[in-house]
Amino acid sequence: MTTDLSTDPAAVLADIAGMLRTVGADLGLDDVEITRATTFHDDLELESIDLVVLSGALRSHYGERVNFAEFVGALELDEIIALTVGRLVDHVVASLAAAA
Amino acid sequence: MSRFLITVPPLVGHVNPLVGVAAELRNRGHDVAWAGLPDLVHRLAGSDQRVFACAMPDRGLARSPELTGPAAFRFLWDEFLLPLAITMAPGVTHALDTFTPDVVLTDQHAVAGALAAERFGVPHVTSSTTSAELVDPLAGLPKVAAWLTGRLAALRDGPGGTSDPRFSPHGVLAFTARELVGETGPGIHVLGPAIAPRRTEPDFPWQDIDLDRAVVLVTLGTANTDAGTRFLTEAAAALHLLADRVQGVIADPGHVLADVPLPAGTIVREYVPQLALLSEVDAVVSHGGHGTVCESLWHGVPLVLAPIRDDQPIVAGQVVDAGAGVRVRFGRVDAPRLAAAVDAVLDPATGHHAAAAAIGRRLRTGDAVRAAADFLAATAVPRRRGASASR
Repeated sequence: MTTDLSTDPAAVLADIAGMLRTVGADLGLDDVEITRATTFHDDLELESIDLVVLSGALRSHYGERVNFAEFVGALELDEIIALTVGRLVDHVVASLAAAA
Repeated sequence: MSRFLITVPPLVGHVNPLVGVAAELRNRGHDVAWAGLPDLVHRLAGSDQRVFACAMPDRGLARSPELTGPAAFRFLWDEFLLPLAITMAPGVTHALDTFTPDVVLTDQHAVAGALAAERFGVPHVTSSTTSAELVDPLAGLPKVAAWLTGRLAALRDGPGGTSDPRFSPHGVLAFTARELVGETGPGIHVLGPAIAPRRTEPDFPWQDIDLDRAVVLVTLGTANTDAGTRFLTEAAAALHLLADRVQGVIADPGHVLADVPLPAGTIVREYVPQLALLSEVDAVVSHGGHGTVCESLWHGVPLVLAPIRDDQPIVAGQVVDAGAGVRVRFGRVDAPRLAAAVDAVLDPATGHHAAAAAIGRRLRTGDAVRAAADFLAATAVPRRRGASASR
């Protein structure tokens, strides 16, 4: 279940890093350090198909409180190109706080 | 008899499917001319083709291997396809003025053809040579979709149509497989791939094909010479791991494997006679270019796909969903993972071979070239009647 989720940014970062390593299991991301500054495209080489999987992982972890599709849909092209893990962490933290 | 103008970008995969369509229209007594890059059209369709020369962006579509994902998408449109629409416009306009076609058949990414036809009041039909543009790839990214449609709209000067120049209201001829695109919207005619017989085929040492091992073709197509060094080197290492059961045939146009050790019997050629080879091979390792994918499936051959950018990740996903191949990461796959992927598609138990064979059987019953010519002729006829009988 998705109760008592931490809104601590460091904890959210750790959660998301874990999801990304699962999503990118076949990418050999096991030993890649994932920080707030890590970019989805240049650093992790994720593709749109990976973002769909990540979206599913976020939903099963956070339930309805985090809407990844809405988050991505609100981004401009330049923002998508430069998208960092930190920006997603901030979105998740804000979404959890708003739902609390 | 009607006159057809075919508008194409300087990209092999976009011209190839239309070579047969042009020949079929001419065989039926119609008059056909092209607007595009004369050297390329002459090389692919024959030196007897009439081509209205169009200027091309100076830099071409040269991109660094690292440019992938949404950054590659931005570059493709901002640095190539949108400038192409502008540089091609005078040549296409000249063709419409002097050739006075009844119908313009314009490639989906040669936007100048759609916009000029619209200005002249000539019906245009879209030619789509990838399965990726038909599945609304930007559906989840409304701001990116708006970014593109805004730029496309800005290409129109003065009055004109309002339709998306990538999708003609008179119809879209999609040279792809239904098994890849699934259900499509109204006005999109999925005709199957138009396999273009090559005018010249490079020599090939057919006597060296090994009858005791599976034969696997490795090719990254015509447009990725510079991007393939790391991948082809890993592929060579994978062939060592597979040496007891697989013979590799590698297309290496950039000669990047010149100093790389290869297992005995491996055939490396600058260019390969791809169509003839596809009748002989058991699997293809490719970047997922739509032409190579359709030609492989047509021959019932399953694929290992390592998409680099553009439509390739979507095409690769469609092949995987159809059960006819597996996908690996172009930028990260190593020899063991690549060897495992090749083993997977060669293993009858995984079903990839059966799925590809079933798709191939169905594709070979179709005739995309004839269907396209029928559609184009039917689009031209009412216009002729309308011109003579005032309504």
